Amino acid sequence: MSDLLLHCAQLELRQPDGFVLGPLSLQLKAGKMYGLLGANGAGKSTLLQLLAGLKKPDRGEINLKKQDLSAYTATARARLLAFLSQQQAPTEMTVRQLLHLGLLPHKALWQRDNQSDRASIDRVLVETGLSQQADILLSHLSGGEQQRAHLARVLVQQARLLLLDEPVNHLDIRFQHQLLATLRRSGLCVLASFHDINLAATYCDELVLLQQGQMLAAGAPEQVLQPDLLQQVFGRPCLVDQSPFGGSCRVTFAPEPV
Amino acid sequence: MNSVFRLLLWCCLLAASLLAALQIGAVDVSLSALLQSQADNALQTEIFWQLRLPRVLLAGLAGAALAVCGALLQLLSRNALADPYLFGVVSGAALGATISSLWLPVLALPVAAFAGAVFAILLVLALAQRAARQGIQSISTLLLTGLAVSFFCSAVASLLLYQADSFAANRIMFWLMGSLSRADWPAVQLLCVTLAITLTVCAVGRRQLTALNWSDDMAKSLGVAVQRWRLVLLLLCALLTAVVVAYCGGIGFVGLMIPHLVRLIFGSQVVPLLFGSALCGAIFLIWVDSAARTVLAPQELPLGILTALCGSMFFLLLLSRRSADEY
Repeated sequence: MSDLLLHCAQLELRQPDGFVLGPLSLQLKAGKMYGLLGANGAGKSTLLQLLAGLKKPDRGEINLKKQDLSAYTATARARLLAFLSQQQAPTEMTVRQLLHLGLLPHKALWQRDNQSDRASIDRVLVETGLSQQADILLSHLSGGEQQRAHLARVLVQQARLLLLDEPVNHLDIRFQHQLLATLRRSGLCVLASFHDINLAATYCDELVLLQQGQMLAAGAPEQVLQPDLLQQVFGRPCLVDQSPFGGSCRVTFAPEPV
Repeated sequence: MNSVFRLLLWCCLLAASLLAALQIGAVDVSLSALLQSQADNALQTEIFWQLRLPRVLLAGLAGAALAVCGALLQLLSRNALADPYLFGVVSGAALGATISSLWLPVLALPVAAFAGAVFAILLVLALAQRAARQGIQSISTLLLTGLAVSFFCSAVASLLLYQADSFAANRIMFWLMGSLSRADWPAVQLLCVTLAITLTVCAVGRRQLTALNWSDDMAKSLGVAVQRWRLVLLLLCALLTAVVVAYCGGIGFVGLMIPHLVRLIFGSQVVPLLFGSALCGAIFLIWVDSAARTVLAPQELPLGILTALCGSMFFLLLLSRRSADEY
């Protein structure tokens, strides 16, 4: 029985534009990887922001390691929980400087970065395939490389729970697989939103399907990836079978007749 | 190592500018004669210690303060056009100065101006805070509130001046154009302490500032107490600008221009940017003030006119030499 890292119950948020998320309940266990699926505007980003403490829910509670999320100081929370937002315009800094920022929650104000910090940053640079680009300005890198740099920054933060908003967007296929495998091997608890259902089904232990702010299904990929549910969410008929590699679920959507 | 060398080089430049500026002025004061401290040059000694030295030091400190404020506000607002005068500080100070010279002549001009500046800043922060609670993006709210308060204060000040006698109007107008003729030791001490505190806080919070420069969400998820840091830094900026405006009047363009220049020389990282801005701002204003004292001697040119004049020309030159893709 793996231990419970994050637990939310009857979570609800009403946004000024009329969008309502929830009420929904979710449990994230240590060492497991969770995929968040849903069409555009289903509330994937909003849910991740709520769980990361960036937004306050109107109702319901979020517990991180059996303590209320809002009871944590910002620093204590950042040591347990890292958040990757969707891509943003880069400021003027190198990949290495961005990674050093990941150490922020572990550093007192007057403390300088030491030898072991630099070593751990070098290690993450290798893991994310960014060693060659370490001293290049972010603005000179491609979107995919910038995305990897942000993921590397999240890894440097050494949190127990990673909340990632579309982590593999902009990445080419090789790095999509490499990074998800890195996340799996890390043994951390990960909740990530995906557009690519098959990628999520391959690497995640459990999937969560959202539609218009409501949780439609949650559980093992073969439970969640039901053709009728998927058609309801994505508006296309589909076929679910098994991938020839490892037998994970594979979804193929029927093309729109031209 | 390279950056340390560069910093030392600019420190030397600052020291050289200080020494050179001390020699420039209506009365020749040679440093060697001062060091011998003979009894017969009492007047020179007096001029040097009570007029020349505080004035040159205040020029350096005011330039450094404005440039640091500009750089800090540009970092915090993620807007390359942010400027220390954005928060209605100058208009507020002008309003304070106008009211005091019309109705409260007992109040010294710097005190009244400082009160006006602080009033404007608090008004901006309070209004922006209120708007932010209703779910509006706080940075753009802050900038727009500052703009509105600035226009409001200057409109009221203009209205009062329009009704006032021409002597008072002249006095205020000259002060608004910026001058260091009011320099004295208390001003130097006050500005020095405020600047030192601001730079220390920035150096200590360099990681927090870098994270804030990305986005609020990024800073929050890295464990930065966003609201607290922003409030502290904004208040320090406001205080620094208020002190400068109270003693020196309106000196435009330094806070906007110097950080852009510094980015080309020192790069965009927080610590080099802020300390580089302090150095370059100090050097710039020391030379501009030297020019203001000597170009039309014995008449003195208003400082704000000169900074705006050479600042804008220099800025246009810089922009035309940058390639389009850099922006």
